[in-house]
Amino acid sequence: MNELWFDIMGAIVTVIVAFVVGITYMGLSRKITARVQNRKGPPFYQNFIDALKLASKTSAIHHGFMQHVGPAFMMITSIMSVLIIPVLRGNAWFVNLNFHGDLIFILYIMVFGPLGMALGAGQTGNPNSAIGVTRGLSQMVGFEIPWVMALVALMMQYHTTSIVDLMNVQIQSGMWLMFSSPFAFIAAVMAMLGMFRYSPFDIVGAPQELASGPMSENGGKYLFTLMSSGSIFAFAKLTLYVDLFMGGAGNLVELVIKTFALYLIPMLYGVTSPRYRTEQSIRWFWGWPTFFGFLAIIYAVVF
Amino acid sequence: MVGTPVLFIVIPLLAAFLIPLLGMLWKELVRIVPGLVLAYMLVLSVNLLNHVLIYGPIVEVIAGWRPPLGINLVFSAFSGFLVTLVVFMGLLIWVYSYRFKRNVDFEPAKKYFLLLMMLITGSVGIILTGDIFNMFVFIEITGISGYALTAFYTGRDSAEASFKYLMLGSIASTFLLLAIMIIYSQVGTLNMADIASKMHTIKPVYKIISFIFFITAIGIEAEIFPLNGWAPDAYTEAPGPVGAAFAGIVVKASVYAIVRYVYTIFDLSGAYDFLILIGLITLIMAETAAIRQERLKRMLAYSSIGQMGLVMVAFGMGTEEGVFAALFMILNHAIIKSLLFFSGSYLVYNSKHKYIKEVNGMSKYLPITSLLFALGAFAIVGLPPFAGFWSKLSMLTAAADSNMLFIIALVLIVSVVELVYYLRVVNRIYFFNKEEKTEPKKPTFNALIVMITLGALILVIGFYPDAITGILHKASADLMDKGQYIHDVLSLNK
Amino acid sequence: MNYIILVVFLGGALLTFFAGKINNVLQDILFLASILVPASLFFAYVHAGNIFNLTLGGIHLSLGINAMSWLFALIVLGLGSMAAFYSVSFMKGKERRGYFYFNFILTIMAMTGILMSRDLVSFFIFWEIMTWSSYLMTVYNGKDVQTVGIKYFVFSAIGAYAMLMAIVVIHSINGSFMIEDLVRSFPEMPVNMQILIPVLLLTGFGVKAAIMPLHVWAPGAYSNAPMAYTSIFSGALSKMGIYGMVIVMVSLLSYVPEGYWFREVIAWMGGITAVIGTLWAIKQDDAKKLLAYSSIAQLGYIIVGIGIGTPLAMMAGLFLAVVHALFKGTLFLAVGAIERQTGTSNFREVTGLIRKMPWTFVASLISIISLAGIPPMGGFVGKWMLYESLLTSNHYLLVIVIFFSSTAAFLYCYKFLFGFFLGQEEKEWANVKEAPVLMVVPMLILSFFSFLLGTYPGIILKPIDAGMQYLGYGITQNHLWQTSVIFNTWGNQVVLQPLLYSIIAIFLFFLIFLTIKSFKQTRYVTTKDISSSGEVPKEHENLTFSVDFMQPFMRAVEPVMRRQIDKYYTGLANGLEALFDFMRKIYTGNGQTYAIYVIVFVVILLLFKDILF
Repeated sequence: MNELWFDIMGAIVTVIVAFVVGITYMGLSRKITARVQNRKGPPFYQNFIDALKLASKTSAIHHGFMQHVGPAFMMITSIMSVLIIPVLRGNAWFVNLNFHGDLIFILYIMVFGPLGMALGAGQTGNPNSAIGVTRGLSQMVGFEIPWVMALVALMMQYHTTSIVDLMNVQIQSGMWLMFSSPFAFIAAVMAMLGMFRYSPFDIVGAPQELASGPMSENGGKYLFTLMSSGSIFAFAKLTLYVDLFMGGAGNLVELVIKTFALYLIPMLYGVTSPRYRTEQSIRWFWGWPTFFGFLAIIYAVVF
Repeated sequence: MVGTPVLFIVIPLLAAFLIPLLGMLWKELVRIVPGLVLAYMLVLSVNLLNHVLIYGPIVEVIAGWRPPLGINLVFSAFSGFLVTLVVFMGLLIWVYSYRFKRNVDFEPAKKYFLLLMMLITGSVGIILTGDIFNMFVFIEITGISGYALTAFYTGRDSAEASFKYLMLGSIASTFLLLAIMIIYSQVGTLNMADIASKMHTIKPVYKIISFIFFITAIGIEAEIFPLNGWAPDAYTEAPGPVGAAFAGIVVKASVYAIVRYVYTIFDLSGAYDFLILIGLITLIMAETAAIRQERLKRMLAYSSIGQMGLVMVAFGMGTEEGVFAALFMILNHAIIKSLLFFSGSYLVYNSKHKYIKEVNGMSKYLPITSLLFALGAFAIVGLPPFAGFWSKLSMLTAAADSNMLFIIALVLIVSVVELVYYLRVVNRIYFFNKEEKTEPKKPTFNALIVMITLGALILVIGFYPDAITGILHKASADLMDKGQYIHDVLSLNK
Repeated sequence: MNYIILVVFLGGALLTFFAGKINNVLQDILFLASILVPASLFFAYVHAGNIFNLTLGGIHLSLGINAMSWLFALIVLGLGSMAAFYSVSFMKGKERRGYFYFNFILTIMAMTGILMSRDLVSFFIFWEIMTWSSYLMTVYNGKDVQTVGIKYFVFSAIGAYAMLMAIVVIHSINGSFMIEDLVRSFPEMPVNMQILIPVLLLTGFGVKAAIMPLHVWAPGAYSNAPMAYTSIFSGALSKMGIYGMVIVMVSLLSYVPEGYWFREVIAWMGGITAVIGTLWAIKQDDAKKLLAYSSIAQLGYIIVGIGIGTPLAMMAGLFLAVVHALFKGTLFLAVGAIERQTGTSNFREVTGLIRKMPWTFVASLISIISLAGIPPMGGFVGKWMLYESLLTSNHYLLVIVIFFSSTAAFLYCYKFLFGFFLGQEEKEWANVKEAPVLMVVPMLILSFFSFLLGTYPGIILKPIDAGMQYLGYGITQNHLWQTSVIFNTWGNQVVLQPLLYSIIAIFLFFLIFLTIKSFKQTRYVTTKDISSSGEVPKEHENLTFSVDFMQPFMRAVEPVMRRQIDKYYTGLANGLEALFDFMRKIYTGNGQTYAIYVIVFVVILLLFKDILF
């Protein structure tokens, strides 16, 4: 029984860390974007304030049960991924579900929430939401290809589908996978641009076109849940990249540095680019990123 | 012994001549007598067949002249089976057409039944005779009654069809006579068994030329491509039961003749391959022509021709399995194609041109007829568990055992074509809306009985093929054993 | 025992057909009885041991059951019984009830017969009965019978005749029709036969399994048949093709060196099938067509698994076959329910049914999640095993293809749910009621099993394991799976039970969080009451989004979609008909021409007499 409580406490701590780090990154990104655009921008803790404000509000209206549970579905994905992806190397506190799922499981659980939320968005009847969802799903088909190719290359090369094993490989050889499997890393990073939906790939929310798309009918606690879920999910994804390509992290500071460095890539790429149309975005991912994905697989097979 | 084979010739011929006289006594006799005669013949043939299956073939000598000088009839397992089939089909056709044109004068009925009896006499004669000139006579009898029956509906189209049939038929007679002359000049005998035993003495050139003439002559009756130009017209223009009679009786007898020539009389090794070749060409040409037909009976006619091509192929294998398959197909074809002709002619009964599109939506008006037509269509394309499947399976098995993969593939591809045109008709019957023009005609009670009997037979053979395979095996073994045939006929000398 | 089941089926079919003339309720009862009685007899009394022999027409026929066919019989009879319950309600007040019931029972009988067949002839007989009874169902509506119906039958016939050719060729080599004799003698056959026989058999099975170049019949046939039937058409009948493929791929081809190429080619064809099916499914606006294409794609996955043929891959294929029957069966039933209640199955017309048909929605939701392969549903386990088997057997490109297809599948999954259940609730559909209980309950039962298998796949992996052992695989339990744990051959695992509990815990926590103090105070508003770009739309404004739903994606893949195999087939068919029309003209109808033919015939024979004779 004690072990169960221990596990639950570990999970809660993990989620809180993920939430804090994720939401801070979001705040920082707003700040950095503003600076690049020569504005002052909000303080980096602005998102905390937003979140607290939303959490304390009650919603006046809802459009039905599916919309009501949509955010909870989203939360399942975020928390499940952060629990399965190893946060720190060899730390007894954050083991969570690390040994219960593998990469393929993560790939699929990552879709669970968005689909659930998409259903919630669909029930609102707002056409913008549905348009946003279709764009999001379409773009996902785009970036999943190079992303999976990168993962397949790694899995083929090291004969494992477990993230923990891939981390161990890096520790044993003393070399990060971003150097020993460079093409896979390039493909994965390019796919990451789509995953984080900064411009030019922000076609889902598309502020000026779709009025924040799937989110548009959510407010109060719904929006809070979605927002915090997004932060946790962002952290989970970054951690996954760190685990896979940068040898994981021994402690939280190392983790924060590595994830933030990665986080800068989509953000900085975004502030300088205008938005794509959906089919352009899809084709972009099926262009160079997929090419690098092929190289990665060939590299994995040949070497 | 319950009877002799000669009765098969004498009784129907006598009946045919007596019909006009009896009609003077009581008009209804014209309809009744043929039925009684055919029923008696059926009983007789079944009895004889039973006897033959156990004790071996019966050779009947006519007028006391022993073979090879005189004419003889051979009722063996093979010919007996075919005779039984022909008589059975004749009986069904009689039942079906008993009330045929009831409302009209008795004159047409008299002609019709007279000609039908002649047709059956001729066909039975072709199958039973052991003498090639005698066979010529019977072929002529069959042919003439066939021409007349084709022209039964006195109209322009019927007359034209009949004339085409007549024209080709007379060409056939010429060639047949020529062939017989060549043979006779070489061996000096007309008895089949005798010719067969002396065949090796004939020069190859004469042998081949006479064979070619035979094939051409009988091929016209047996609907071999390209000699079958008369057939679609005749089938279309003749009354429904006559179409069934052509498919179920005349063609069977003609195929018998070809088979007898190839298997027993001639010893040409190339003849078997020739049968396969000509059968395949006939099959392909007929089935592909059938798919584009606009008239129902024409389509059935082409389909019938195609089936006979398939039978040819099976005979051409020259193995006992092949013969078995061919006989099985002959049997199934007789049953199923008659059912299709019978039910099909009711589906387009009142339409002038008998277009296929006129069967649209008939299932609502003629449910049983439609169902039986659908059953027939399913059976003839060889879908299990109906009768056609077993014959197709045995045919393909036989082909595979003879290592003829290409032929199997070809036959199966053609079967797909066949499937398409039958399904199109069935779909029309069941799923299209009826056009206003044609008035459906309810089948008569007799016709229903016949169709249901045929349908039941399809199911019986489909579920329990053993009912028939025993006889077929014996019949095919009988055909294969050429030496035994010669021995049986000629041993009467001693 | 086993033949009695078939006899009961057949008798039941006839009785049900004629009972319609007496009383409709009696007919319903007889129909249910003639599905359920043989099904329960099957599970109670049929064991691997009892074999029934019969000689028919000189051919030795033999009926029996083995572990592999038992698994498929589970699919057929399980799904069949559920669909039967559904049908009773579905067919209420429809015409041609006897016709429907008769063919329904006959199809189930034929499938059971196929699974029981121990020789090729009875296999073929039942196969053909299955073909024509399912054909009669595809033309049930009388819609497009001359195109869709004929196409289905022609493809089936091509397949069946290929199979028939293989059967007679096997007989000519072996002298026996028994499947076990074939398996025994296959490795000793000459090489050309080792290639010809599997090619022919796989063509036959590939048609029913709707593998890539032979799949064009499926969308039309699946969507034209009544939905109650399509659920077994797609869920169970197509699995007969899979069953046959399993026999060919494992029992025959694993013992010959050519087998390697067969496996690779079949696996790749399965992969391409999956991609094509998925892309076309996304394009469809009709739910029936969408599901039909989706079935093609899902069968593609199954074929990939069977094609690869490693223990894990085979397990994945068979597991997917079972869950596909569950979820696709449910989805077709759901479409049937919607069509019955609203009169259409087109996404463009019907929207916003979630509040009207909540139970149908729940069943569809679970099935769609399962179809998409998302945990914690059964579909995930199958997908996971498939990916792992591809990875561990070095099929690195194929795994990408499969991944592409299953990611793109999310698009049509969402389209299905959104199109029917979500979006604007329009007045036109305001009075739609939930389907009758007898239709909802089978759907819910089937989707419950989809859910159950997601966490406890061991339930169905046990019979699969038994079936695979029958085929000659080693024991896979504890090495590739446990009741709720799945492993790959590299030793990686997914422990399903704690994952499910975590998911439930998180869900409940946030559900409470969202609901507490909030749900009472919030009020439900209609779907017109939204902030569209900051404005509140008026009542008359049309906000329904259902036309060109996945347009951006379709634009992106447009070059691939331009080529359609169907067009080539249509071209071929038209060309052939034109050729036939030309050949028909040989019969000119002119007597003189015919006479000339005769002369020409004689002359040709005389000229070539030396060659011919």
